Amino acid sequence: MGIVLAVFAGFALALVAPWITGATGRATGWLYSLVPAGITAYLSTFIAPVAAGETMRVAYAWVPGLNVDLSFYVDGLSLFFALLITGIGTLIFIYAGAYLKGHHHLGRFFAYLSMFMAAMVGLVLADNLFTFYIFFELTSFASFVLIGFNHDEAASRRAAWQALLITKAGGLALLAGFLLMEQATGTLQISAILETGEAIRDHGFYTAIVLLVLAGAFTKSAQFPFYFWLPNAMQAPTPVSAYLHSATMVKAGIYVMARFHPVLSGTDLWFWLVGGIGAFTMVLSAWLALQYTDLKGILAYTTIMALGALTMLLGLGTETALKACLVFVLVHAFYKAALFMVAGAIDHGVHERDITKLGGLRSKMPITFGAAVIACLSMAGIPLFFGFIGKEIIYEATLHLDQAALFFTGAALLANVALVASAGLLAIRPFMGPLNDLTSHAHRPDTGLWFGAAVLAVLSLGLGLAPWLLDSAILAPSLSALMGAEATPHLAIWHGFNLPLALSGVTVALGVGTYFAWTPMRQSAPFRALERWLGTGLDNGYDHAINGLLATATAQTNFLQNGYLRRYIATILGTTVAVVGYTFGHFGFEGPVLSFVGIAPYEWILSLLIVGGALATLFLSARIALVAALGISGFSIALTYLMYGAPDLAMTQFLIETLTVILFVLILAALPTLSEVASIGHRLRDGVLAVATGSMFTALMLAVLNQPFENRMGEYYMQYSYSEAQGRNIVNTILVDFRALDTLGEITVLLIAGFGIYTLLRLKRSKTSEKVEASRASEQVEQLS
Amino acid sequence: MDLSGAFTAMWADLPAIFSMLIVGAAGLVVILMEAFQNRDPRIPWLTAGAFGLAMGWEAFQLGTAPDTAFFEQLRTGGYAAYINLLILGAGLFTTLVSPPYLRRLNRNFGEVYALLLFATVGMIMLGTSNTLISVFVGLETMSVCLYIMAGLLREDEGGIESGFKYFVLGAFSTGFLLYGIALMYGTTGTMHLPEMAGAFPDGVPLLFWAGVGLVIVGFGFKVSAAPFHMWTPDVYQGAPTTLTGYMSTASKASAFAALILILFFALPSAQASLVLAVLALITMAVGNVMALRQANVKRMLAYSSIAHAGYMFVALASGTTAGYSGALFYLLVYTVMNLGAFGVLALLEWDGMAGRKQTLSSLAGMGLERPVLGASMAVFMFSLIGFPPFGGFIGKYYIFAPAVSAGLTWLVIIGLLFSAMSGYYYLRVIYVLYMQTAADVAEADRAPEGGFAQPAWLSTAAVALCAVLLLVLGVAFSGVVDVTEMLFIQADAMAQTP
Repeated sequence: MGIVLAVFAGFALALVAPWITGATGRATGWLYSLVPAGITAYLSTFIAPVAAGETMRVAYAWVPGLNVDLSFYVDGLSLFFALLITGIGTLIFIYAGAYLKGHHHLGRFFAYLSMFMAAMVGLVLADNLFTFYIFFELTSFASFVLIGFNHDEAASRRAAWQALLITKAGGLALLAGFLLMEQATGTLQISAILETGEAIRDHGFYTAIVLLVLAGAFTKSAQFPFYFWLPNAMQAPTPVSAYLHSATMVKAGIYVMARFHPVLSGTDLWFWLVGGIGAFTMVLSAWLALQYTDLKGILAYTTIMALGALTMLLGLGTETALKACLVFVLVHAFYKAALFMVAGAIDHGVHERDITKLGGLRSKMPITFGAAVIACLSMAGIPLFFGFIGKEIIYEATLHLDQAALFFTGAALLANVALVASAGLLAIRPFMGPLNDLTSHAHRPDTGLWFGAAVLAVLSLGLGLAPWLLDSAILAPSLSALMGAEATPHLAIWHGFNLPLALSGVTVALGVGTYFAWTPMRQSAPFRALERWLGTGLDNGYDHAINGLLATATAQTNFLQNGYLRRYIATILGTTVAVVGYTFGHFGFEGPVLSFVGIAPYEWILSLLIVGGALATLFLSARIALVAALGISGFSIALTYLMYGAPDLAMTQFLIETLTVILFVLILAALPTLSEVASIGHRLRDGVLAVATGSMFTALMLAVLNQPFENRMGEYYMQYSYSEAQGRNIVNTILVDFRALDTLGEITVLLIAGFGIYTLLRLKRSKTSEKVEASRASEQVEQLS
Repeated sequence: MDLSGAFTAMWADLPAIFSMLIVGAAGLVVILMEAFQNRDPRIPWLTAGAFGLAMGWEAFQLGTAPDTAFFEQLRTGGYAAYINLLILGAGLFTTLVSPPYLRRLNRNFGEVYALLLFATVGMIMLGTSNTLISVFVGLETMSVCLYIMAGLLREDEGGIESGFKYFVLGAFSTGFLLYGIALMYGTTGTMHLPEMAGAFPDGVPLLFWAGVGLVIVGFGFKVSAAPFHMWTPDVYQGAPTTLTGYMSTASKASAFAALILILFFALPSAQASLVLAVLALITMAVGNVMALRQANVKRMLAYSSIAHAGYMFVALASGTTAGYSGALFYLLVYTVMNLGAFGVLALLEWDGMAGRKQTLSSLAGMGLERPVLGASMAVFMFSLIGFPPFGGFIGKYYIFAPAVSAGLTWLVIIGLLFSAMSGYYYLRVIYVLYMQTAADVAEADRAPEGGFAQPAWLSTAAVALCAVLLLVLGVAFSGVVDVTEMLFIQADAMAQTP
């Protein structure tokens, strides 16, 4: 029960926040942060039992018929992520309260933010594919409203929509993957799926499952080529960027890959797809980050770099790589959230985020400066800081690969060099140097604005000094869950003089060099081209893709939905022929044996008249001639009725044909002359369609003839017409005896119709008076409610 | 056939058609009232009352065992009650939202409500039919009323076009349906659906399948499946918006219900699966792709309803009990969300003629200006995409999951991709509602001051209720699903023991 409360506490806050925020005033952020803090405290009580190897599962039947439960599962991995989400969430809530102080939609903002947090906690704890997906989509939705929070700006709206479209499309791919996963394993329960071992890998759907799940994960976690939405999402208020687009939501994709790692990984497909795309994203975005001067731009691309690194490590899949993945999740969350808060504090105080325009802020905001320096040192991977440990293990992981060790180590080195340079830019540019016109007016940030960054900086430093604190309580259970096997990892500051350490040294040295070469490098042609192609280029590509889709839609609409009734009818006819034709083809057509012997000459003539009349309509262009041609067909058909012993039917047909011709002639008089004559192509097409339709019905007729005819009804009437109804004329007895009620109904209907027509005629006569009445009626106020 | 006890049997069967009687009688009374007093303000109340009373009756029938009435012409019991509730509910909703809208168009005639009631009678007959005869009679009763309703805006070109196209194409496709019925009867010698499947001890003849094909063509037209969908956008756009909502939901619900009955009872095996799957594929493609480019919201919703017919066919193509019950559940969800969406549109529309002012831009900023309608519309759009936790998501799950089990994985994946595409045009509505303001759109598209239908609180409440219902269906759906599944298990049991 407690876990359910932990998940739904955020939703509860989301429901009340808009209504009570007016009353909470300045303390809003601090007050609301009690909710995530409380959840964190509650979840912390699970650390000890989980470390001891226990897992907890709570399930409430939701749709028993389909095995859909509202169920939550606490193991090392889900607890790890849940604690991260609520822990950072606590700091973000405090920060957001200060950042958006006095904003007139503060309540709404907190509602969105806590809804997001709750969805995220639900996502990582969910133990049912179904619930998992629901929370996954909720995070997308929360991201949409939070990015678009400043919806009076066009850029915010576009970014919000783009993020939603991309993550939503990925989400549906994920759902498809989940459906296949259920097919492969026969269960929706995640903890049960994790125990199926080779079931998915051996299944025929394996490739499809991997591709679909990765489509969901890559769009959410901003991997190449979908990452362009993330820099755009920086339009959101900074607390949102820090929380959703750096520390937590983008990690949902990582979590998906981590969660299903035990059952999906270990194949070449997984290794190269996940590892390769991760590595590529990592290197690319690390260097793209150096193209930007906007603080949040740099942070966005370095976030993509981190996500790429995590993806790569999950792809590599060795024990060291997975350990590196988990450590790096923490490392990154600590320094990146801190740096976002720093960027926000600067933005808040100076209203400028361009690092080339900032400077000298160390004196104006000393605590922020201190936090920024520590976070950047951790980011650069300097010894004694937590980031150093993260980087060491990554190198260790790539160096010890069985295949492609050189490739992945090279990629990691390349990316880390750029990261060191970015860290330098973030720590030095805004704070060092003299104050300028802009920065000298900066005001000192509120406690709330530096508090979170400071706490995270302390964590980055503390865990850098004493990393073994994480070993048994946090790392061991989560790593075991990630691997699907028991693991006892150990973290240490010092591993002796070895290759990773040397690589670290090289990284820092090259990174410092890159930092000093930054300005000329940034302006050089190749780097600009890189940005143009893969930075804004992909974003433009998205626009092109959407526009292309819309253009296709337009073309299709104009082609198929042209508004002409005749083409609609042609389509229906064509499809019917196709459907019936398919049936004939599929089941085999059986008709009677046809014989042309013994057909009298007049029968030939009639048949030719029927066909000829119909065909003539194709070639004639005068309306009156068309009507005449149709009339020839019709009367010839009536004649055949007459010849084969159905005088009543023939009579009806004659009447209808005559009436049709008269009506046509009456209408023709009122119509303008035909202004254009259909082209030969059109006529040919219509002719083909007509012949096809006619053939279909002929074939149907022949098939009917082949069917043994059961004349039960006829026999019944013949047998009882005289004995029961005392009449010799069967048609008469049917009408007035057997189906007397029907006849009564028909007469009644005719009567009513007659009344109706009479009324209509009367109405027309008194049209003027009716008009007056109608307008009077419209003036009456009729109120339904 | 033994007709000796016909009259007593028919008296005894009267409770089985209680809803039809009430609704039909109300229709007659409405016509009389209108004859004595033009636009009698009590007419909508009477109509709503009749629908409400019938719904109350049907609610009590939900749990009853399946049976037939009137010499096995009509189906009664749980299945029938479920369909009837759906149809009657749509009628009730339409009656509640129509008056303010129709008043604005100066079309609040009593006859509209009479037509609504008569169409409902036809729909009930169609949705609960047990023989091909009642299928046809129900279908025609419904269609003739709908033809008139579609052309209600007589002075408007779009309205005339709407009514005319619907009538011509409808009559045309009915011809196919009738032909198909004739072939099915001719080969089986019976009109009763449950007897058809067993009529072929030694192999199904070709003609029967040809008949089924033609029946599917006829129904394809009524539920606007591609490529028989072409009337849909023109008709939906030209008809008065609240009535469009009714057409797009109740008539589809009853036609689908009848189609399900035919497929479930009359077909010897699931051999129509491929045809239905192809139909589903084309319908999803046409609906979703064409909706992308619509600037007119009503037209967009028309294409969207085509797309949803496609999703329904996915469920039918699976040909299993789970698929049919999923389809029934989806019908409910679809009805609620589409009715709501058209309802909101009707109340936010300021000139119903020729669809000129149902453009997307004219909704700019409405989300904040009319919070209840705006929020409801957002819920409908999210639900139409299939976004959790709304009913649309659960509905989609219930139609796609059986299809996967039936081996139609390819179709489901395509369906999900099309759903992803649909996000574009549904989300655009939310985007315009909430993130744009009137200042962002061209002068001509702006709504004039006080230019809307004046939403009575009852209409707004009805719309909001739909939104709430979707949320409820999205969270606490298991009860409804149990009902729809149970219906088929019972029906199956009944088919086994004739």
